[in-house]
Amino acid sequence: MNAATVAEYYPGGELAPPQRWVFLRRLFGKKIATVALMYLLIFYGAGIVGPFVAPHDPNKQELTVQARLQGPSQDHLFGTDALGRDLFSRVLSSARTTIIFTAIVILTGEFLVGLGLGLLAGYRGGRTDTAIMRTGEVLAGIPTLILMLAIAASFRQRINDVSFWLQDHTWLGQDAKLWVKFTIVIGVTVPFSWVGTSRIIRGQVLSIRESTYVLAAEAMGASTWRILWYHLLPGILPIFIVGLSSSMAGIAGAEVALSYLGLGIDPPAASFGTLIGGAGGVRTFQDHPHLLIASALPVVLFFFAWNLLGDALVDVFEPRTNRR
Amino acid sequence: MGAGLFGYTVRRLLWCIPVLLTVSVIVFWIVRLAPGDPVDTLLGQRYDPAVADRLRHKYGYDQPIYQQYFTYMNNLFHGDLGVSTRHQDFTVKQVVLPKMWVSTQIGFYAMIITFMLGIPVGVYAALARGTFLDPLIIGSWLMLDAIPIFVLIPVAQWFFALKLGIVGLGYDGVYSSHMILPILLLGLPGVAGVARLMRASVITVVGEDYVRTARAKGLKDETVIITHVARNALLPMVSIIGLSLPGLVGGELFLEELFGIPGIGQESLQAVLAPDFDVVLFLVLFSSTLFVLANVLFDLLYGVIDPRIRLGEARG
Repeated sequence: MNAATVAEYYPGGELAPPQRWVFLRRLFGKKIATVALMYLLIFYGAGIVGPFVAPHDPNKQELTVQARLQGPSQDHLFGTDALGRDLFSRVLSSARTTIIFTAIVILTGEFLVGLGLGLLAGYRGGRTDTAIMRTGEVLAGIPTLILMLAIAASFRQRINDVSFWLQDHTWLGQDAKLWVKFTIVIGVTVPFSWVGTSRIIRGQVLSIRESTYVLAAEAMGASTWRILWYHLLPGILPIFIVGLSSSMAGIAGAEVALSYLGLGIDPPAASFGTLIGGAGGVRTFQDHPHLLIASALPVVLFFFAWNLLGDALVDVFEPRTNRR
Repeated sequence: MGAGLFGYTVRRLLWCIPVLLTVSVIVFWIVRLAPGDPVDTLLGQRYDPAVADRLRHKYGYDQPIYQQYFTYMNNLFHGDLGVSTRHQDFTVKQVVLPKMWVSTQIGFYAMIITFMLGIPVGVYAALARGTFLDPLIIGSWLMLDAIPIFVLIPVAQWFFALKLGIVGLGYDGVYSSHMILPILLLGLPGVAGVARLMRASVITVVGEDYVRTARAKGLKDETVIITHVARNALLPMVSIIGLSLPGLVGGELFLEELFGIPGIGQESLQAVLAPDFDVVLFLVLFSSTLFVLANVLFDLLYGVIDPRIRLGEARG
């Protein structure tokens, strides 16, 4: 009986009392989800606080034979890389890169574009719907990775022009180049990341658009935006969050892959992609396994934790699909 | 194949045309937008303005972009895919076709592995639902899926080739023992996705009345699972084949680069970086066509093998 939901006692669905705390309690009832959540907390904590308390400067090179390619020790928890930089500090900075990148993509690509267009397409219907969904179909039909590479490679040629201009004309200063690179990676990820989200949201909107409380609001003359914001959004948020946590690994993975190929965030700024690229190669792995393990494991667990959390959230929000 | 299905097919196929034309315009524009062009790369240190101008004229890069586009599309419809600048004096067809064949074979075998493993794993996990085995099985495949292929490859190469010494590295033709590792590495991470879908599908089917009937009339468990549950649960998997193509192509890019396999993934990476205009254009257009058509095809196939699905009617 533990799977019995409030909704089952109130078959009307719309009459059911708020379920917010029920969700949380159910989520923490799952051991795997709790462990995944704990790891994510550590990762985010390390990424946000880490760079400020890092034991070493992540960019400080030490090119002596003794300092290069050290194994893990007390001074260097994860050892040092080929240029004698402290790998632990670089992993912390990479976590920050991942966090900043995913946060921006989620705010723009998923929240503004994905959720916004999905709501609009589902609620407005007609031509708006057709236009949005057909655009999505075009984007979904393109081999994303190759096109992302093509775009990133084309725009990178202009990095220097733009970043020098920004350096001279804005407050960005020395960081300008890094932000330009961030913009490029985000710019090639966002156009391809919203399609799936929009489709799911649109489907959900279509199903609750006809419910009585929306009709009532319309009858009382509420504006489109009011209906979208106050009446449709709350009903959609659960499915949006579920979708988000399942697509998180893919979003973060895009940056890692691009950086790995040298088309994303590149040295001296740290990214898991460049760290893995620097540790790559089977011979390097044979001689210095700590390089690849230390730079890949944190981000692999990050992907894994988000996937597990996504699965758990599906169970929590839609208990019927998984345990009938 | 009723009239509705035929109309739907025609509409879907007609819709592919504007999609592909849009893709071609976007890609053409993006590729030509870059300040560097193949001529810069070709000449490199020996850059000489007079020679560069002559080369640009030879390849037509001195014309306005829209004109270049129309020339390109016109040639494309006449079967001329253009010339490669990275492999000088070779046409795109000569460069791309043999590599494409290599990649297609590798991708095909990898896909077979993905489905041959994913389907039974999914069925097993669904039947073990409620026990610790279900999350354990799905979880461990998910873990494999979470590792980026460019991390997996060096580790696997080290373990199987250097430590155990059971496989060789380096490309030695598609049908050699050296290809076992790459094909496995390409196929295994996809098992998680197939297994999860199969699991969900089996769980839905197990609750159907005809399964209960089959059990009630005293059929053996294996018979019920194989002939009643698995067969019907397999139907939705058809549409997954089309959707899994992009991931496969993306994976091959890293795989071929790290294993030194002369395939289309490696070529596309090099062509993008060079840049090699015509090769990039052809690869993007070809794979877009492939993906779009594959999705239409598998959607239709789904409708044919499962008549309960009414294509195009549920949509408003």
